[in-house]
Amino acid sequence: MSRSFPKSFSSRPRLPLSLWADRGAGTLFLISTLVLVALIFSLIGFLAWRGAGAFIALPGNTDRVLSLREVFLGLDWSPTQDRFGVLPFIFGSFTVVGLSIALAGPLGVLTAVFVTQIAPRWMRAVMRQAMDLLVGIPSVVYGIFGLATLLPFLGDRWLDGQPSAGFLASALILTVMIVPTIVSLSMDAFEALPRSLDEGARALGSTTWQSIASVLIPAAWPRLVTAVVLGMGRAIGEAMAIQMVIGNNPQWISLMRDLTDRTPLLRFLFTPASTLTTELVQELPNTAAHSAWNNVLFALGLLLYLLTMGSILLTRRLSRRRA
Amino acid sequence: MPDSILIEPVMEAPLHPTDRARLRAENLRVAYGPKEVLKGVSLDIPANQVTAIIGPSGCGKSTFLKCFNRIHELSGPAKVTGRIELDGRDLMAMREVELRRRVGMVFQKPNPFPKSIYDNVAFGPRLFGVRGRSDLDGAVEDGLRKAALWDEVKDRLADSAQGLSGGQQQRLCIARALAVQPEVLLMDEPCSALDPIATARIEELLFDLKRELTIVIVTHNMQQAARASDRTAFLWLGELVEEGPTETIFTNPGKPMTEDYITGRFG
Amino acid sequence: MKKLDLRPRLSARIMDGAMKVALWAVALGFIAALLVVMGAILKQGWPVLNWGFLSKMPETLDAGGGVRPQLFNSIYLVALSLAGSLPIGIGAGIYMAEYAKEGRLTGFFRLCVETLSATPSIVLALFGLMVFVQALDWSFSIRSGACALAMLNIPILTRVTELSLRGVPQEMKEASYGLGATKLQTILRVLLPAAAPGLLTGTVLAAGRAFGESAVLVFTAGTNTSMTYPDFSLKAPGETLAVHLWYVVSDGTLPDAREIAAGTAAVMVLVLLVMNIVVRLLDRRLKRHAR
Repeated sequence: MSRSFPKSFSSRPRLPLSLWADRGAGTLFLISTLVLVALIFSLIGFLAWRGAGAFIALPGNTDRVLSLREVFLGLDWSPTQDRFGVLPFIFGSFTVVGLSIALAGPLGVLTAVFVTQIAPRWMRAVMRQAMDLLVGIPSVVYGIFGLATLLPFLGDRWLDGQPSAGFLASALILTVMIVPTIVSLSMDAFEALPRSLDEGARALGSTTWQSIASVLIPAAWPRLVTAVVLGMGRAIGEAMAIQMVIGNNPQWISLMRDLTDRTPLLRFLFTPASTLTTELVQELPNTAAHSAWNNVLFALGLLLYLLTMGSILLTRRLSRRRA
Repeated sequence: MPDSILIEPVMEAPLHPTDRARLRAENLRVAYGPKEVLKGVSLDIPANQVTAIIGPSGCGKSTFLKCFNRIHELSGPAKVTGRIELDGRDLMAMREVELRRRVGMVFQKPNPFPKSIYDNVAFGPRLFGVRGRSDLDGAVEDGLRKAALWDEVKDRLADSAQGLSGGQQQRLCIARALAVQPEVLLMDEPCSALDPIATARIEELLFDLKRELTIVIVTHNMQQAARASDRTAFLWLGELVEEGPTETIFTNPGKPMTEDYITGRFG
Repeated sequence: MKKLDLRPRLSARIMDGAMKVALWAVALGFIAALLVVMGAILKQGWPVLNWGFLSKMPETLDAGGGVRPQLFNSIYLVALSLAGSLPIGIGAGIYMAEYAKEGRLTGFFRLCVETLSATPSIVLALFGLMVFVQALDWSFSIRSGACALAMLNIPILTRVTELSLRGVPQEMKEASYGLGATKLQTILRVLLPAAAPGLLTGTVLAAGRAFGESAVLVFTAGTNTSMTYPDFSLKAPGETLAVHLWYVVSDGTLPDAREIAAGTAAVMVLVLLVMNIVVRLLDRRLKRHAR
């Protein structure tokens, strides 16, 4: 065998001591795992506790108790005037995530098709390297790129130099951020397919694309959906980069209505807005602990957490159905 | 090439007297990088007969087979020299899509697509623009009948092909290959993953199919070659050792090496 | 039998060609995006980047500040968080790969790892704020930041450890047991050394992610730095490069906020490029070594 076998092999007979160490180590490793489990549960517990504080009178609360209705069905976020509607943030998050998935989903899957089916070997290496680098760039760096380069570019191009913060810039930045995830998971999906499928299709006279479109993509479909859902989970939680380019305006729904000098599309793409994550980054530092305002923000955090949990459970469900 | 019309003109296939070679390899050499897999093989494969290619694993018989519909090109850039012909035309100069329509292939392991039985068989005709429901139905039934699978699946054409047994899956793959009405069928150890009963059914099929088709089958199973083929070619380390009528090869081989191999006194 | 009209469609060939071109375009588009982002960051940061920028203290109101303490804090926090998360992450990874038996409980553990690694960093930030900053009353400090950052690293390290251990060939394990080694001896002397390349690259990747992390640290390590240098105190405020970049831009009191941000971004990109190269070299060298 050509593999080198680690040296320094103890040839001492098994001593009771080593057996004790053996058992002790097993417990230690189990404890590490339990620490991890405990972290998850305290995370859920603390978030639920602080989030619930917005709706239930808890000791330490300094403000009135809000109703679920006024918070989760409210369109007006004016905490200083005691109005706590969070729908603008939920809509904002869904819009940004929806836009970026609409771009990143197809692009990511197609890139994976390219890398696994079409690219020559050297190009495959280049793409891997590029994806590694894209995923490694920190979100604040994407943010400053958006702020210093993308926003001026978009503004010059479509708004005669006016500020262009909003959904489009956020979605573009987010697309570049989540595409590597989707590409690498989709590549796994295609690489898991037996080669015989492609061969079978090609032997019947398929072109490369016919084989991809009518055999490979349908065969990989469940895993491709999983890849996109996981990308979506990442997109929902992204905060800093979007916060820097979205404009941070909780009143975006009414502003969008009022910007009548623009076409509806431009209004939609370029109205400064807010999302769940950007709102947390923006306002959490300014609020007093246990005030209603502060509690609602924690409730938003809880919602965010439940959304990502939901995306994970969804992917599990999808992969179970496959099996 | 008049690209202005959407359907490409096809050379009318000339009529073939059965005594002429349908497939022909002339001094065929294939190399992947520095490794030469075939070292100058010349072989005529007559029409409407079953030709078996035998030889120990790694002798290049699978690569040889795959050259006839150029599916070997999928396993990486290969250097091919010599000449391969289909009905006297240089196969390397043909468009691969058209070539593969005319020269079908069945693989070692059944590889049905994860689609319904119907969609598997209709896959080929659809590639070539057959859209009409009755045409497709006809092609599917025709393929399945020829592969002796029709009676077993006619009531569940919409079911997934993955639910069929191994032998049924392999016959489905044969039906799928037949649905594009090929002239030649290449079979790469088609029974290696099947049990003896399923194997026997496929061997029976070969007798029926060769009335319409030319069949080339690669096998490592000596009995199969003896039972099912009309002619046999013995390949060893990328070279053709001997070829001829199956009976001659098995009863009175011309070379001692062939005799050693078919009697199991090898390696 | 009906003879069908089976002829190759020119439309199929055109589609094939068009899609190949389109796929190349998409792929090249991403490479272009990468180059544009990297290029813009380096180009804007280049004029600011000099020894003074790296070695000066930051200014609060005037132009011309440096990032010396932030650079220090970034490295210090990454090191501390790794020191905290490596034992737990590797321990849990070993448990998952070598001890856990397939079953409900293991499935549940795996779900926990998956959930923790998918938790948005802003949610971890909330947790850190509640627990470390407020409940434990550590305020915005290095220790709050290091603990929160460790939570981010743990699931990554767990998964990397589990995967690398599972990648060790079975025969190696069997050989060790065959020689009479205990499970612990097998793990320590055979499995971990054999899995070392994967572990090492995984650790560097986790370090890279922690280095670039901002959301978690804004709410735990804070947006201020200690005015002494180097300040190893765990109680000192610990603004990192990533946080600094975000803070100067969104706070906006510095006249040269944009320049500082551009310079900081360039520093971060350069550090990550170096880390990427290190991972690649490590990977290659260790793989060659293992062969």
